[in-house]
Amino acid sequence: MMMHDDHKDDQLAQKVLERISGEHLVPRPRWEFIFKNYFFWIFGAFAVALSALAFSAMLFDIQNVDWRLSAATHANFLAFFLEAAPFLWAGALILFILVGYVNVRRTAHGYRYSLAVIALGAVLASLVLGSALYASGLGGEIEEAIGDHPPFYRPILVEERSWWLAPEKGLLGGRVISLAPDNTSFALRDFKGHLWQVEAGDLRNTDFAAVLRGGIVRIVGVPVAATSSTFHACFVFPWEIRYGFFGNFFHTPSPPRPPLFASTSERSVTTPRSEICKGIRPYRQLRSIDETSF
Amino acid sequence: MPPEMTDEEIVRRTLLDKEAFTPLIERYEAKLTRYLERLGVGVHEDCEDILQNAFIKAYRNLNSFDQTLAFSSWMYRIAHNEAMSFFRSRHARPQVVLDEGSETLLTELRDENSDTTHLAELRLSREELAKAFTVLTPLQRDVLTLRFFEDRSYAEISDILEVPTGTVSTLLYRAKRALREALPEPFSP
Repeated sequence: MMMHDDHKDDQLAQKVLERISGEHLVPRPRWEFIFKNYFFWIFGAFAVALSALAFSAMLFDIQNVDWRLSAATHANFLAFFLEAAPFLWAGALILFILVGYVNVRRTAHGYRYSLAVIALGAVLASLVLGSALYASGLGGEIEEAIGDHPPFYRPILVEERSWWLAPEKGLLGGRVISLAPDNTSFALRDFKGHLWQVEAGDLRNTDFAAVLRGGIVRIVGVPVAATSSTFHACFVFPWEIRYGFFGNFFHTPSPPRPPLFASTSERSVTTPRSEICKGIRPYRQLRSIDETSF
Repeated sequence: MPPEMTDEEIVRRTLLDKEAFTPLIERYEAKLTRYLERLGVGVHEDCEDILQNAFIKAYRNLNSFDQTLAFSSWMYRIAHNEAMSFFRSRHARPQVVLDEGSETLLTELRDENSDTTHLAELRLSREELAKAFTVLTPLQRDVLTLRFFEDRSYAEISDILEVPTGTVSTLLYRAKRALREALPEPFSP
């Protein structure tokens, strides 16, 4: 152990003071530290706010992916999950929470909070704020505004539309344009603008209710011929975009469409679907969804 | 400068007059030198350089000193960080030097393990304890050093090492467990 005495203390103090004078050192101004501290708090809070936006977009994705129809659109649930899961937003959520943590940790007293406390706080703040933003309808706006830009990512609605633009696989989606007077067919414009004549002979009342409401529908059926624009519909499901829990404050809704018919009472079909439909995949599951959920 | 002045009062005076910094340097030089030696800074000149840099840094950052902390914790933190920078620049691994604090640590290790062994039965050399210390992580060594050799509270250790108090407890618990495993009877489990 080294020896210490007053003389040595004086020596060190003298050396330090000489260096302070020689190098013209002065204490850094207080505002620098205050600014730095506020900067980290504000940047941390900003990162958490961004993570909340990412979470609201993630909620929008989850709300608008219809996993019940995954058996019709995908070979298996894993393939569906890989295409439908909001990886971009989940990644952004985690990234911004980490950025928030790093910033809070660098504030004057940030070291007093454990990783678990800061991370949990950031996650909770993101979830609560993100849910509120989604409820107000901002999630969909973010998804549509930002989701289109990364080259490796397609917004969920674009992705879903692509699933329903595969008539050769028995999947067709688009807007109902008109209904034949005898209810045996209806006209549909698909997401690429192509006009289809859809045979409706195999549709049940629930399917027809979706057609009569107009708007966008998803059809599972069979193409009549590879090159024709006629499609035989077996099941029709409505497609309503959910912008939030209580509607959307940010998205201007389309004007209400008059129903193509007043009710389905004119049509009551109880006979089983034809053999054409029974061959489609997955017939029993779709029939169960058709009869209960929609 | 009146001797009864608190560190915080001296800090306030130093902001107006740099000469007022002298009593703080005098107050902490010996304590910090001993701490640096315990951290493994063996050469006197290195120790003095680190201390000089630490005091200069403290002076430059006096306005960032948080009055809710003890000045000693803040000063130890600066000295600790300077020492770590020194070890990094030398690509050296800090080696803890054990002295009179070892007995307190050994008593604590023994007491938690067995209440029948008397302190007089402890026949563990500092070399054996120093060897056992090599199994610890740098942070575990720092926590043990501050707790048993510098007699710092958990809150002070938290402020010096800038880790949460809960982490200090965990590090101490794990460090003691690791030491017991590395030590012979009656310390080993």
